[in-house]
Amino acid sequence: MTDGRHISQEDLVLYAMQALSPEESAPVRAHLAECPACRAELAELNGDLALVAMSVEQHPVPAGARQRFLNRIAAEAAPAQLASKTIVSPVVPIDAPRPARRVAAWIPWAAVAAMILVCVALEWRVNSLNTELLLQSQQIAQQTVASARAREVLDVLTAPAAQRVVLTAAKTPPAPTARAIYLPSRGALILQASNLALLPEGKTYELWVIPASGAPIPAGLFRPDASGSASVILPELPKGVPAKAFGVTIESAAGSATPTAPIVLSGAAPAAGE
Amino acid sequence: MSVVATEFSVWNLALHLSCNTMGRPFLALVSEPISNPARSSARSDDEGGRASTRPSVADDKALLERVLARDQSAMAELFDRYSGMAYSVAMRVVKDAAQAEDVMQDVFFQVWQNPKAFISDRGSLGAWLAVVVRNRAIDVIRRRKPSEAVEDVVLAASTNVAAEVEHRTLIERVRNAMKDLPPEQRESVELAFFEGMTHAEIAEKKGEPLGTVKTRIRTALMSVRKAFKA
Repeated sequence: MTDGRHISQEDLVLYAMQALSPEESAPVRAHLAECPACRAELAELNGDLALVAMSVEQHPVPAGARQRFLNRIAAEAAPAQLASKTIVSPVVPIDAPRPARRVAAWIPWAAVAAMILVCVALEWRVNSLNTELLLQSQQIAQQTVASARAREVLDVLTAPAAQRVVLTAAKTPPAPTARAIYLPSRGALILQASNLALLPEGKTYELWVIPASGAPIPAGLFRPDASGSASVILPELPKGVPAKAFGVTIESAAGSATPTAPIVLSGAAPAAGE
Repeated sequence: MSVVATEFSVWNLALHLSCNTMGRPFLALVSEPISNPARSSARSDDEGGRASTRPSVADDKALLERVLARDQSAMAELFDRYSGMAYSVAMRVVKDAAQAEDVMQDVFFQVWQNPKAFISDRGSLGAWLAVVVRNRAIDVIRRRKPSEAVEDVVLAASTNVAAEVEHRTLIERVRNAMKDLPPEQRESVELAFFEGMTHAEIAEKKGEPLGTVKTRIRTALMSVRKAFKA
């Protein structure tokens, strides 16, 4: 391609005619960029080619070509004048033909601006969602811990293997006892009973909430295990009913809507239940 | 013919001045034609009568500077000077009147939009336009995007053919030189220059080595150069 330091005249001719392949013309272009001598020769060759070009058979310019050209440059010049006027006064007459090119040029920029706004909004939304997610994750973690603790409490209270001992004054013989824990506002009740007498087949103990006014409310059936222990955990109860007392009766296995005497265990609730 | 000879020597003088004293090649442009009988008669469209009213001393450089100042009449005058030549070159390549006019119009419109593409220190505007039109026309028949910016077309300042184009004497010389070329040389140049074939394509078409094609094209071009400088 290069003869020693310079591009051969043959290759420069082909380069000037664009008759080299892209791969062939790239090194020529690179050399030309740095070689004034070859650039000068290329300019000479372009002059020679101009002569060849101008030696073609002459054709008259098509009718109207001149006017078409003048119209074109006039049309191009008009928007330019309009644009310069616009700078002086931003008020453009309504009937003034706005240059299509200027209008069209805004569209991509407006689209870009809109995209940027959308991106910013999305970014903001992503951030806020992330924050929310983090917050909820923390809450879930806290609730999981709390839930595990509650489950543990409940397990200890209800596990058959748990040892339940009621401590009393020395030398008092073991007597049936039950401890009720009641939260009226939630209608939540836990009962732990021990030393209960075993029941014959077809009988059950039933727990009653005795409200300050009104009939006793059934609060669950239970049968003691072999050691006489039993639990009632969160039976279905109406909320917000303060209890005056609790009682346990013996009922038939299906339970009863009203207590049947005698009351085997009872206890009055302290005045300030909650 | 004596008028031509006088003008030619004036042009040579201007060229010497520009090279020896100023070092500004485009000053060679000051020797422009002052009349245009061949073009005026050649142009057949309705604006023909305008030619006689053109300022007789205006030259391309001054016209281009007025174009730079958005003077539409100056651009019109440049169009009158060179549109016929530019159209003929485009026609030779694309062989279709509508496409040839498109190429010609586009090149002149580029001059209007960016007169500086030429103004700096190129050779004559006419020669430059001939090359730019040819290149753009080749782009059209090859269905490709413009392969180069018009600014990249640089002509030697010595190729001031504007004056001679008008009187056709030099063009006749070049034509005769082309005619006198060995047929295979002329064909190679024409295939490369007017048909836009690469030297590899010509070599394949003719079944000849690449080197032979290269040498032929160069030799043919040197013959044209010799005819011009003679």
